[in-house]
Amino acid sequence: MSAARSSRAAQAAIGAGTLLLAALLAWGAAGIPSQAGYAGIGPDFLPWVVAAALAVCGGWLLHEALSGGFRQLEAPSGAPRGDWVALAWVAAGLLANATLIERVGFVLACAICYTLAVHGLRSAQGRRWGGPRQVLLDAATGLLLAAPVFWLFTLVLDVNLPGLTGTGWL
Amino acid sequence: MEIWSDLLGGFATAGTPVNLLWAFVGCAIGTAIGVLPGLGPAVTVAMLLPITAQVEPTASLIFFCGIYIGAMYGGSTTSILLNTPGETGTMVTALEGFRMARHGRAGAALATSAIGSFLAGMVATVLVALFAPTVAEWAVRLGPPEYFGLMLLAFVTVSAVLGKSRVRGLTALFIGLALGLVGIDQVTAQVRYTGGIPEFMDGFEVVLVAVGLFAVGECLYNALYEGRSVSEVNRMGKVHMTRGEWRRSWPAWLRGTAIGFPFGTIPAGGSEIPTFLSYATERRLTRHPDEFGTRGAIEGVAGPEAANNAAVTATLVPLLTLGIPTSVTAAILLSALQNYGLNPGPQLFQTSEALVWALIASLFIGNVMLLVLNLPLVGLWVKLLKIPRAPLYAGILVFATVGVYGMRQSAFDLYLMLAIGLLGVVMRRYDFPVAPVIVGLILGPLAEAQLRNAIAIGQGSAWILVERPMSLALLLVVAAVLVLPRVLAWKRRA
Repeated sequence: MSAARSSRAAQAAIGAGTLLLAALLAWGAAGIPSQAGYAGIGPDFLPWVVAAALAVCGGWLLHEALSGGFRQLEAPSGAPRGDWVALAWVAAGLLANATLIERVGFVLACAICYTLAVHGLRSAQGRRWGGPRQVLLDAATGLLLAAPVFWLFTLVLDVNLPGLTGTGWL
Repeated sequence: MEIWSDLLGGFATAGTPVNLLWAFVGCAIGTAIGVLPGLGPAVTVAMLLPITAQVEPTASLIFFCGIYIGAMYGGSTTSILLNTPGETGTMVTALEGFRMARHGRAGAALATSAIGSFLAGMVATVLVALFAPTVAEWAVRLGPPEYFGLMLLAFVTVSAVLGKSRVRGLTALFIGLALGLVGIDQVTAQVRYTGGIPEFMDGFEVVLVAVGLFAVGECLYNALYEGRSVSEVNRMGKVHMTRGEWRRSWPAWLRGTAIGFPFGTIPAGGSEIPTFLSYATERRLTRHPDEFGTRGAIEGVAGPEAANNAAVTATLVPLLTLGIPTSVTAAILLSALQNYGLNPGPQLFQTSEALVWALIASLFIGNVMLLVLNLPLVGLWVKLLKIPRAPLYAGILVFATVGVYGMRQSAFDLYLMLAIGLLGVVMRRYDFPVAPVIVGLILGPLAEAQLRNAIAIGQGSAWILVERPMSLALLLVVAAVLVLPRVLAWKRRA
């Protein structure tokens, strides 16, 4: 029953996290002036309401977690244990994308993101690494996907996306 | 007949070649993302929101609505052929549809769902055209206290009625409201919760939160937990219904439409309740109870599919006349309207009459297009199910980047997108509903403004909320929705 116990611990952590968020919101709300004017309630009213409500919810969640687990919990789909390595690959792709997009442009950054993410997703399926050829193939697929998307959105729809060069093609 | 001439005007606008093209592309994209697991209409519309900076409002709303209704057609195809439903609204379709497909009747299931969707979509659009102007006329008389009550009702129903657990639904709602607090307060221009980070001044874009929670969250969840899950694809048959199947389908279609439409118009949070209700009704009324849950009963596909499409179309009534979204996609359509500086509400029928009627006309056109796209051409979409999962989800990230970066041109948003994606994974794993987050984020600031206006009208007194009969009635309904289920459960136990 270790899976159930670790799930229970995670539930308690979610309850505690909600309480922490409520505390943060309350701390922030204390710094908001309450001058109300004609409106009767000031800009700090809703922040206090949300902070109080989240505190109640967090306490309730924590209580449920500590007294037998969340009520009426649908069994989550997928494996009982997470594949954290695969998650790290996908997250690395997204981080690389965020870091690089303004330096190397949309197309290259997205191709890198795609290559890293597809590797992670494949490793989650338990497939063996396909070697450098696979990486090249994935990178090419990423480029072939990102480039037309870039052209469609920048040239046809006039959405601003960063390019590496000023030509509008890359 | 004023409606008639308005509608003809709408057809004239929607029927221009450019707008027809937008409608067609919207329907095609909608069907495709409905078929593909991992992408829904809400997140797709969210990703495409940056185009509102360039494309004119009528065209882009026709496009977005095409995606919205197209996804419902496409979603049923996935529910029937694959054992994972494409959309939440088509979950019930999967119950009987998948069984029918197992027993070699995929063709009949696909046919009854496409034709039922078409019929329900058409009837519901007629009802929207008939009722929306009346509702708008009536809604002009609502003041801030009543709007606040309606929004409160939307909050409560979307978070407390829908899910299995009220505390998890309310937690999700308040997380959405908390996100909505970040940035500059609309009324007093007071800066809240920015932590000195300039990117937070404009608040959280709904695109960012929707794409993070749905698209990125889905992709991360897949890598983390779903790698070894196998999905089986059913064999397609000839898309055809026998005379007996027609006879069993059409009453179910009509009943489904009748159940679905009213639910779409009230803030009850989308199409899950009406589809389940329709399924239960068909199961009770059927003359073939032996087929339910075994070989798959065609009524169990026909009814819910019609209910689903009727409800989806009906969400346009509260959205356009009151500015209150009753589903996640409607909430994102609301923010599309806001991008154009259009305030959905009763005034919309006066200030943007041409746009509203063009939208309604384009729903008729879109449903015809979708029938063609989904009956003779269904084989084309089924091929999408053959795309392997790894490249599909990795590709979704590229589109997510377009939507999120394209909205504000800020790389900071891409980091936030990952953070919200991780939040999405936790919420999905521990069965928190995500719709309340989006509704809270979008409606939160509006509700706050209405509450302040209401109290200003009451000259600083909150009693105004209970002094006006309509507002009092709404507050009582809110209280009943929150308290009644608990009382009933307690009585049953006692």
